[in-house]
Amino acid sequence: MIAQKFEYTAPKSLDEALHLLSSGAKPLAGGMSLIPMMKLRLAVPEHLVDLRALKDLNYIREAGGQLHIGATASHYEIESSALLRQKCPLLTETAASIGDVQVRNMGTIGGSVAHADPAADYPAALAALEAKFVLKGAKAERTVSAADFFVDAFSTALQPGEILREVIVPIDDARTGTSYKKMVQPASGFAIVGVAARVRQNAGKVSFVRLGITGLSNHAYRATAAEKALEGKPATPNDIQNAAALVTQGVDANSDLHASADYRRHLAVVHAARAIGTAISRIA
Amino acid sequence: MATTTTKTETFVGKRVRRREDPRLITGTATYVEDIQMPGMHYAVILRSPHAAARIRSIKAKQAEAAPGVVCVFTGKDTKGVGVVPCGIAMPDLRVPQHNILATDRVYFVGHPVAVVVARDRYLARDAAELIEVDYDILPAVADPEKALTKGAPAVHPQWPDNIAFTYHQDGGNVDKVFAEADVVVKQRIVSQRLVPMAMETRGVVAEWRGADRQLNLYTSTQIPHLVRTLVAGMLGLEENRTRVIAPEVGGGFGSKLNVYAEEALMGFVSMRIQKPVKWIESRRENFTCTTHGRGHVDYYEIAAKRDGTILGIKLKLIQDVGAYHQLLTPLIPQLSVLMMPGLYNTQNIRADIVGVFTNCVPTDAYRGAGRPEATHGIERMVDILAAELKMDPAQIRLKNFVTKDKFPYATATGLMYDSGDYAAPLKKALDLVGYVKLRQEQADLRKQGKYMGIGISTYGEICAIGPSPATPAGGWESATVKIEPSGKITILTGACPHGQGEETTFAQIAADELGVGLDDILVTRGDTAVVQYGIGTFGSRATAVGGTALYYALQDLKAKIKKFGAMLLESDDVTLVGGQVVCDKTGKAKPLREIAGASYRALKLPPNTEPGLIATRFWEPPNFTFPFGAHIVVTDIDSETGQIKVRRYVAVDDCGNILNPLIVDGQVHGGVAQGLGQALWEQAVYDDNGQLITGELTDYALPRAHLMPWIESHHTCTPSPVNPLGVKGVGEAGTIGCSPAVVNSAVDALSPLGVRHIDMPLTPEKIWKLLAKKN
Amino acid sequence: MKISGSYTLPVAPERAYQILQDPAILARAMPGCESLEKIGPDEYRMKMKVLLAALSGEFEGKMRIADQAPPTSFRLIVEGSGRIGFLKGDGLLKLAPAATVRVLSAAPSEPPETIVSYEGDAQVGGTMAAVGQRLIDGTSKMMIKKFFDKLASLATDQRDS
Repeated sequence: MIAQKFEYTAPKSLDEALHLLSSGAKPLAGGMSLIPMMKLRLAVPEHLVDLRALKDLNYIREAGGQLHIGATASHYEIESSALLRQKCPLLTETAASIGDVQVRNMGTIGGSVAHADPAADYPAALAALEAKFVLKGAKAERTVSAADFFVDAFSTALQPGEILREVIVPIDDARTGTSYKKMVQPASGFAIVGVAARVRQNAGKVSFVRLGITGLSNHAYRATAAEKALEGKPATPNDIQNAAALVTQGVDANSDLHASADYRRHLAVVHAARAIGTAISRIA
Repeated sequence: MATTTTKTETFVGKRVRRREDPRLITGTATYVEDIQMPGMHYAVILRSPHAAARIRSIKAKQAEAAPGVVCVFTGKDTKGVGVVPCGIAMPDLRVPQHNILATDRVYFVGHPVAVVVARDRYLARDAAELIEVDYDILPAVADPEKALTKGAPAVHPQWPDNIAFTYHQDGGNVDKVFAEADVVVKQRIVSQRLVPMAMETRGVVAEWRGADRQLNLYTSTQIPHLVRTLVAGMLGLEENRTRVIAPEVGGGFGSKLNVYAEEALMGFVSMRIQKPVKWIESRRENFTCTTHGRGHVDYYEIAAKRDGTILGIKLKLIQDVGAYHQLLTPLIPQLSVLMMPGLYNTQNIRADIVGVFTNCVPTDAYRGAGRPEATHGIERMVDILAAELKMDPAQIRLKNFVTKDKFPYATATGLMYDSGDYAAPLKKALDLVGYVKLRQEQADLRKQGKYMGIGISTYGEICAIGPSPATPAGGWESATVKIEPSGKITILTGACPHGQGEETTFAQIAADELGVGLDDILVTRGDTAVVQYGIGTFGSRATAVGGTALYYALQDLKAKIKKFGAMLLESDDVTLVGGQVVCDKTGKAKPLREIAGASYRALKLPPNTEPGLIATRFWEPPNFTFPFGAHIVVTDIDSETGQIKVRRYVAVDDCGNILNPLIVDGQVHGGVAQGLGQALWEQAVYDDNGQLITGELTDYALPRAHLMPWIESHHTCTPSPVNPLGVKGVGEAGTIGCSPAVVNSAVDALSPLGVRHIDMPLTPEKIWKLLAKKN
Repeated sequence: MKISGSYTLPVAPERAYQILQDPAILARAMPGCESLEKIGPDEYRMKMKVLLAALSGEFEGKMRIADQAPPTSFRLIVEGSGRIGFLKGDGLLKLAPAATVRVLSAAPSEPPETIVSYEGDAQVGGTMAAVGQRLIDGTSKMMIKKFFDKLASLATDQRDS
């Protein structure tokens, strides 16, 4: 549990951070995954750039009809944000389910999604929210969708030298209900499976539905087949069950000590049905 | 000037807040890691990544030349150091030579191979990576049952059958009752390997003072005096010049009831470099190198009459020993056998233990040490028998309990149960939980396809360990009470509390005996240069044995105080009350501080009386104590996910007299937490190659605060006749009572599916598979 | 740990068999492979640098090919170790032309395809094994996918050239 020697910089500006990153430094944004790996020497970065020192990455604000969340907003800040609670409760609910209090105080949304742990909680919600990710390099900035951001286990669209600047999520109208349901792995607090649901109804029928799944496979995804199956339906328990049964379609489920692939698939279906049901019950 | 307060207020039996907590809560306690010394060096231990391998060569040149490195030692250097001791002697026990560093072979992942000593721990850790060990990897075996099969890899080549020891116990006429029984039920029951996981990992600071031929050894241990005797022996030092100090110890749970290679190794290093040296165990090392607990595969058979009367019990117990015997390894399963009949009145038992070597870290004591396994076994079997006979699990227990008129009760395993009223806690728990109503609710829920279970466990345990003839190293305990010239009181206990709260309970006992306030008393422990020889804290013994030694020392001292008081009051008729000696006739009084001052000033002494106020007693208990109780757990099972939710947890424990209900609550809560850990979450999993794959807290599921149910803790009180305090011990009760209650509850919930047994931990996936089978 | 799966390569089985044993191609296809040299018949020494999120580890090891039955199957035995642990793998790779149905229905000009299916055992030890249980399955799948993706693109490049 003794890390190798490394350099640490707390940059004063984003440009300084980008400059350091372009010369091979590794970003530190909470360190809830990186620091334990360093203590075990599974990770041996030579230089850490602490992004949490940058005040201009730490914000949660509304602009242009969307919500902008700076990369270093902590899970606790997201969980307790009055703005998000009102305008994007799916994100506050998801943040509140992460790890434990200590992790939520230290960990950040940017650090979490850039690390792209296949069992992290945010990716399910961000997939369901069709979030946008603003990636900043030394020269340019680009925006990618959630579908393109999460590439594989621990792999994202971030290129070397780029940092995630902010995450943008939409503001749903009052007819939208959301829910995040998770089976917790008791040792780590990670999701064995987590399902985020976002549902709108119109005239007694589902007019819009987005489902984000995490933990089942190497990266979070939107269960589009299930979404299609539910759209236009009155969302009877049967409709929900039938749609939920499709969330694992075409997915290569992972297996580990804590849950076999079969059990994971089963849990995804169960939690999808529950998330949809709860989301609908929350429609104002 | 300091004065002793005199009080008529009493403390025993009250919820007195723990006096050790302020320093713990404010982070000012001194653990081994907090000790700093001028010139101190740091050691990092290189350990085997393989479960079984021959060491072809070790190249340490590069590491020795690394910045800040003082030296590197390997097994060749430490050949003169004695072996890590096994404290148990029994016929046919095979004891492999357990060197403090591996020599030609490694036997488990984590086996120490070399030690790097450097100016700071970072440099030592860096240098450890430069050591090249050439391993010839050998096949390993990690499963005790596989290790017993023909052709399995031999852990120790000299013993190809992997049998470490066998033990047989027979009582009554087992063959006859099994032949005559109406019903015999059988079940294989696993008590999985667990990692004790003290919050503070182990750690050692060794300081050799060459000119004095003295070794000071700071180590996180439950047994400082035994460590001193044994480590001095390993290093060839004089015991009186070896000082062992257990500073603040952040939990042990039996894992620090041991003598470890690193304790002697650090002594060796300090002697060689002539400087103090510190080693702090990492959590990863704690997982792979500190002893594990449990590790049983039990084959049970119970014979009974059709009316539920238990006639006899048979047990074949396979104990996963690991690669070596640590201090008490072979003893632990024997404790299981002693406890085998539980609370039930049967004189026919047969047990066969086979201890099996595996390429894993050794097993040894872990909270309950053998009794949780035994209780889990018998309490599961009684439920299985009840299911077979379609009897209510509460009724079958009430039918078979040793009744309260039978005490002291001699068991078939050779114990003498001291006192008990086993029906009382069960009846109380049934009332508290609302058993009859719950059974109705269960029937209604079943009609709706819902799974709710009610699990009962009625446990007994062996505590206050123990009479010396029954223990490997003396089963007594010591206490010294000193009243200082100012009247302040110092207690030196030979026990070594590390979370059990005796700094508070012992102060309560002394305060009441002497009639003073708690603030006048200091309880000291854990330093062999300060405290008279003692045995230590384990086996729920510190209060029942150490507290009794204290009680008798206080009686000696009270007599002497009265003599001095009588002299000062010039009267023979005096009473010690409220911190002063009072003349019965005149009502004149002399406070303790004045008496203490007079006893040290010694201008005048009572006849045949020495100056000073100090008394020491070593108390040898005539018997163990036998606490008991009933735990009832109500669970709801999510039929879709298999997730178990504990709805109610009712614990009725009888630990005899209670000195401090607050501390007893804490012990029950902590014990139940660890019992729930075993029942629901924890497992030390080795893969087929002997890799510990639950080797970090991200995979080893320790019970967390937010996972804990509300524990409804209640008591009945049957004082122990074994000691004058009437106490029995409560440190392990929660753990022992818990796991069978939880499993019985889950099995009860799933009984409509024909489920009779589930092995721990009850992971949601296991339950889901049982539920899925039905569909 | 059991590892199994399949991947479709856009070349005929004979060619697939060949590239799966071509050190130059393998070296380029294996994620993080820094060198791969032949040290004997069907035996190679390799160096890999695994970069996975924050995790980084260098491995040195050997790869051996056995039980050759061109173009339908061979056995692959891999052994490697590094600072963060060691791994051993032993697996059977089977090659078969893509499903007949598709071949029949395909236009005559459509390139041939080979389904490579693999099944084997992998052992992981050291720190990786103790802390990485949750991640081993997913990451091994990812590495295998990366390998075949790259192999497929290399195979196509070669075919086109």
